[in-house]
Amino acid sequence: MDNTWFLAALWVGLALVATLFAIWFRISTALSEIVVGTVAQLIIGVAIGGAGLGAQTPWVGFLAGTGAIVLTFLAGAELDPAIFRTKWKEATVVGLAGFFAPFLGSAAIAYYVLGWALMPSWLAGVALSTTSVAVVYAVMLELGFNTTQYGKAILAACFINDLGTVIALGLIFAPFTIRTVVFVGVSAVVFGALPFITPRFFRRYGGRVSELEAKFILLALFGMGGLALWAGSEPVLPAYIIGMVLAGTVGKDHVLIRRLRTLTFGLLTPFYFIRAGSFVSVPALVAAPSVFSILFLAKMVTKMAGVFPSVRVFGHRNGADVYYTLMMSTGLTFGTISALFGLNHGIITSAQYSYLVAAVIGSAVIPTVIANAWFMPRHLLPTPTIEQDEIAARPSDAASS
Amino acid sequence: MFRKVLVAYDGSDGAKAALRVGVGLAKSLGSELHSISVEEHLPHYAVSVGEIQEAKDRVDEYFRILTKEARDQAALNGVELQTAIRQGHEVEMIVNYAKEGAFDLLLAGYHGHSRIFERVMGSTAQSIIRLSPCSVLLAK
Repeated sequence: MDNTWFLAALWVGLALVATLFAIWFRISTALSEIVVGTVAQLIIGVAIGGAGLGAQTPWVGFLAGTGAIVLTFLAGAELDPAIFRTKWKEATVVGLAGFFAPFLGSAAIAYYVLGWALMPSWLAGVALSTTSVAVVYAVMLELGFNTTQYGKAILAACFINDLGTVIALGLIFAPFTIRTVVFVGVSAVVFGALPFITPRFFRRYGGRVSELEAKFILLALFGMGGLALWAGSEPVLPAYIIGMVLAGTVGKDHVLIRRLRTLTFGLLTPFYFIRAGSFVSVPALVAAPSVFSILFLAKMVTKMAGVFPSVRVFGHRNGADVYYTLMMSTGLTFGTISALFGLNHGIITSAQYSYLVAAVIGSAVIPTVIANAWFMPRHLLPTPTIEQDEIAARPSDAASS
Repeated sequence: MFRKVLVAYDGSDGAKAALRVGVGLAKSLGSELHSISVEEHLPHYAVSVGEIQEAKDRVDEYFRILTKEARDQAALNGVELQTAIRQGHEVEMIVNYAKEGAFDLLLAGYHGHSRIFERVMGSTAQSIIRLSPCSVLLAK
């Protein structure tokens, strides 16, 4: 499609349809967008052939790439430093176990069982090593675990796990030249300086309608993303770490984060997730469903092997250990980002990408369903009293009266 | 007979009818009247904590207003309504709350889904009747 505005209308229309499906089926918009992208590419590809949705159009690629970068920044900025400080030992041990076991294990299974080449196997390891802070947080919030020490430890461990994934994605495929040294050196300076410069700069010039804060954040993300790309690395790596180092300052500015989220979810991530879905080959999945199953099981088994023993070291028993492990076995955002990185850089084929994305989506849904159905540690659930309910219900009495 | 009465309250027409019945019973029998509202509309499998938190804040605000209206309505009739808000599966939360609070009567609204929906999914009311630890009264 040569007409830019028709193409934009098509993509935004698909985003709208995906949002409606998300509302009807009560799932996340991102998951819905991936599925809509897959189905739309299938239908439009058959109907008009050729480029179909136009996912390779440069401006679509730019919007999608920006979506991945800003989304990763927001994910990093959601780290709660206070929780991490109290649970850093457990979070570090469990988070690293949750990263290394599936990273190495899934890569080995892809290499030895599926017969993939070395680089695609490493990519599979990275894509399946992730966890999903957001998926876990939704479960924690719904059950009330987010207020318990147990729930906070799980969330902190998820951050460390994802940090391992992002670092692996950023460095394992890097060529390690002098550019890599420059990138690491500049990154160290920028990551160290940003937490000091940013709040002061915002206090001095921020809070105006010109949205200086958003421009500053985008400058940091694009600048470091460009440097990462120049060094042969991946732009989401600096984005996640910038988010983490600014979590205690900028991350607490709810108005700014909300504005960035509006920009991200309103325009950018629909392009990212629909594009990610459009590259999924349904014929490849139908032709070899066992590959998807093996990859999914590889993630589950290796997560269990890594996380379960490390969780028990910190005294979690009576179902809390299995539940913790299943929560750490989830995945969505970084799994799809890793798989798309592999496809874009020619590390994996379209079919391998499809199997990985399917396994990642499976890991977003299945572990939480199993965990809540059979392994929920009810003895750790907080029990609000009726008096607490009354207090919780009262603030808006005053506000609305 | 009905010393403690619980109303499952989600703001629907059926739930409002159940609340009216509950207020009437509490007034005439001198029963203790409680309500439980269950938030079950959080997005699952989201990509951002902020997305979930924002959805939760909206749902919280909706239920705060809803329970305030319910308390006001009960207060107009001289009845004190004690409200509770829970997150999770609607039927499970309502039934567990009824068990924990040792209620004598559970009041719920009839939603009236399509026959196909009810055949496939089963209705909330049917599940509550089946699992409730106490007598159930459905209001229309």
